Amino acid sequence: MRKIMLLLIVLALAFPGTALAAYPEKPITIIVPSKAGGSTDTTARLFIKAAKKYWPKAEFVIKNIGGSGGQKGFEEIARARPDGYTIGMIFTTQVVAHIVAKRARYTLDSFHIMGNAMQDPLIIAVPAKSPIKNLKDFVQAAKAKSLTAAVNGIGSDDFIAAKKFELLTGVKFNLMPTRGSTEQKAMILGGHIDASFMNLSQLQAQHKAGKARIIAILADKRSEILPDVKTAAEQGYPVSMTATRGFVAPAKVDKKILAKLDDLVQKVNHDADFAAACDKGVLFRLPMTGPEYRQYLEQLQAEVQKFYDQNPW
Amino acid sequence: MILQALHELLTPVSLLAIFIGTTSGIIVGGMPGLTATMAVALLIPVTFALQPLTGLLLMGGVYCGAMYGGSIPAILLRTPGTPAAVATALEGYPLTQQGRGGLALKVSVVASFAGGMFSAFILLLTAPLLATFALKFGPPEYFLLALLGLAGIVSMAEDESRLVKALISGLLGLVMAVVGTDPISGMLRYTMGITDLYDGIAFMPALIGMFSISQMLELTGEAGGIVTGEPQLDRLKREPLPPGIGKPIALGSIVGTIIGILPGEGATIAAFVSYNIARRRSKKPELFGKGNPEGIAAAEAGNNGCVGGSLVPTLTLGIPGNSVAAALLGGLLIHGLIPGPELFTRYGVTTYAFILSLFIANVIFLLLGLFMAPYFARISLTPTALLIPVVCLFSVLGSYAMNNSIVDIFIALICGLAAIVLQKTGFSLGALILGLILGPIAETGFAQALIMGHGSYAIFFNRPQAVILWLIILLLLVPPLVQIYQRRRRRSDTA
Repeated sequence: MRKIMLLLIVLALAFPGTALAAYPEKPITIIVPSKAGGSTDTTARLFIKAAKKYWPKAEFVIKNIGGSGGQKGFEEIARARPDGYTIGMIFTTQVVAHIVAKRARYTLDSFHIMGNAMQDPLIIAVPAKSPIKNLKDFVQAAKAKSLTAAVNGIGSDDFIAAKKFELLTGVKFNLMPTRGSTEQKAMILGGHIDASFMNLSQLQAQHKAGKARIIAILADKRSEILPDVKTAAEQGYPVSMTATRGFVAPAKVDKKILAKLDDLVQKVNHDADFAAACDKGVLFRLPMTGPEYRQYLEQLQAEVQKFYDQNPW
Repeated sequence: MILQALHELLTPVSLLAIFIGTTSGIIVGGMPGLTATMAVALLIPVTFALQPLTGLLLMGGVYCGAMYGGSIPAILLRTPGTPAAVATALEGYPLTQQGRGGLALKVSVVASFAGGMFSAFILLLTAPLLATFALKFGPPEYFLLALLGLAGIVSMAEDESRLVKALISGLLGLVMAVVGTDPISGMLRYTMGITDLYDGIAFMPALIGMFSISQMLELTGEAGGIVTGEPQLDRLKREPLPPGIGKPIALGSIVGTIIGILPGEGATIAAFVSYNIARRRSKKPELFGKGNPEGIAAAEAGNNGCVGGSLVPTLTLGIPGNSVAAALLGGLLIHGLIPGPELFTRYGVTTYAFILSLFIANVIFLLLGLFMAPYFARISLTPTALLIPVVCLFSVLGSYAMNNSIVDIFIALICGLAAIVLQKTGFSLGALILGLILGPIAETGFAQALIMGHGSYAIFFNRPQAVILWLIILLLLVPPLVQIYQRRRRRSDTA
């Protein structure tokens, strides 16, 4: 009898997969490292809606942990019990910027990268009344006098984009950090600043309404919703920058569970209803598999490190 | 189009949505730690399943209801349900102690209603026009606006001739506001490696600690309820509205709507600025701080005036007027309703129905508030043995729920203990909170303005809108200082 028991225990330890066959058998928490209502939060909620199609029995719960540029939330994902019932979202560039600035209590290795879902390309915008119509005017004006350009906080995607642009063109901006896109929008619409580096989704409606002008999109190709806006590369300034929002799990989760989760992310990423919902809510999809996204993050971290070393914050 | 909107609105489903929204808004607003922002954000996924309009009506109802709901515990327990209700607590709680809580609640609901209605009218009639005004405000103006709010510290003190202590309290608040990430350089300041402090000391837990926990600790000495002396149930029920309440309400409505329109500025400043102006213009300023209904009227009209005001830039420009409006904007976007001119043309029926629903929501909370006031007021008769544990429980829960943070609970407890010491020694908690809330706004505005002006201070004086704000600040600051000076002289003459 004892031998059989022992055998069973050894078997159970050797093949933990048998116990996992039923995964998920309780609600899966998705940690969203931003306040409810933002675009990362919306992504998670749309994801859940689509995921139910493939995992009809699974329950998902969103836990919003906002503040400190996402750091609190990222740390919570990294620290979570690796049983597969806590996963989370990350967004760039903040997730690597915290590592570079030596503040984070995690590294990229703390996470299993499941894949990317969304992106939000960076744009350069000027007030509607500004004489600047394109990047050439912009660089000329910046060389003539120091232009005030708003970015969302130091180390953010806007900030890195501005720094990349400075590096390429040799101009120097009078950078104004803000407390977020709301402030940037108000300053551009009110003409208080010369330009703003921000995300496409934040200003596309205002551009369409003629209240602000987007002079360039920092992406490889033009956006479908604003086909009239030229990319920076088209105008002779090959700078590209985007904000991504992807899914991760704590690194130590069982491999079989991770495989299931990776599969789910890929399925949702290519789901037609999910795509339609994203289009309606002005979210731009950028499906990437886990390994692809990991490579992207590592490159980004090296890039941010370069700017940090030049001028730490 | 408006008629069509009205037609959409007057269906049972729509009316029910507004009713449910408003009622749950009052409850959410009344619980410290649960905020309108949170409630609106939580509703977004619910609205997936609903018609876009029904979802919007729910969210609009929650917004209106929560703004009013915050005043109920502020008045009865000195526990502001929202930061915007702090000024209400300063006047409302003394009234409750005098056994006149019913009156305070009535004044608050009527003022909230008037402020809400006024701002909804403004939104309906002149939204696009006012949006342009909102854009005139840049960093220098936001700095001055924060100064305008801080000017309130002086008038909070004058009658107690405790100016120096009030100023020190305000300064203490500003010092506490320094903790966190430097808004310009991104450096960490006094965060001691605690991630929860990177965004600064969260002011909701601080507020809960300073007002509600300290209050409960003080009550531990009392045997009965909050009301000292014979409880007068009759009076609780039937006290009519005091005369002369119209003026502060009108003033609060206007100030609230204007400040609400400015993107990013919140109901808290609106409430404090209208409270302060009402105090300046009142015929009985000496009664302020001791339970003056005029103060409640101005503050509540002010913070509810923000509701319609904050929606002006949200709907016309896509720039949310405050955090609740930002969550609401998220709800609009998910239904493909993108703010801008199209919202008033192509989607006009939905938009106008939403704006009109704000009127109905206001009527609903007015009726609910008036009807329930006498029952709510009985809370002040609850024995302290029951009241203290319940309120403390909610205080701790609320502090945690705000940001899911244990550190915040400790902030609340420390602030609670510190508040008792400060109050016993005559320092002003209102001034401290004002410093804590306005400090970051002032700092960011100041630094950004200097960047904008390439380092020159001239930017604070060479813009017409800035000059006007300077004038208002002077108008608020000079008379009380002159009064204090005169009183000093008179005293030294007689001595």
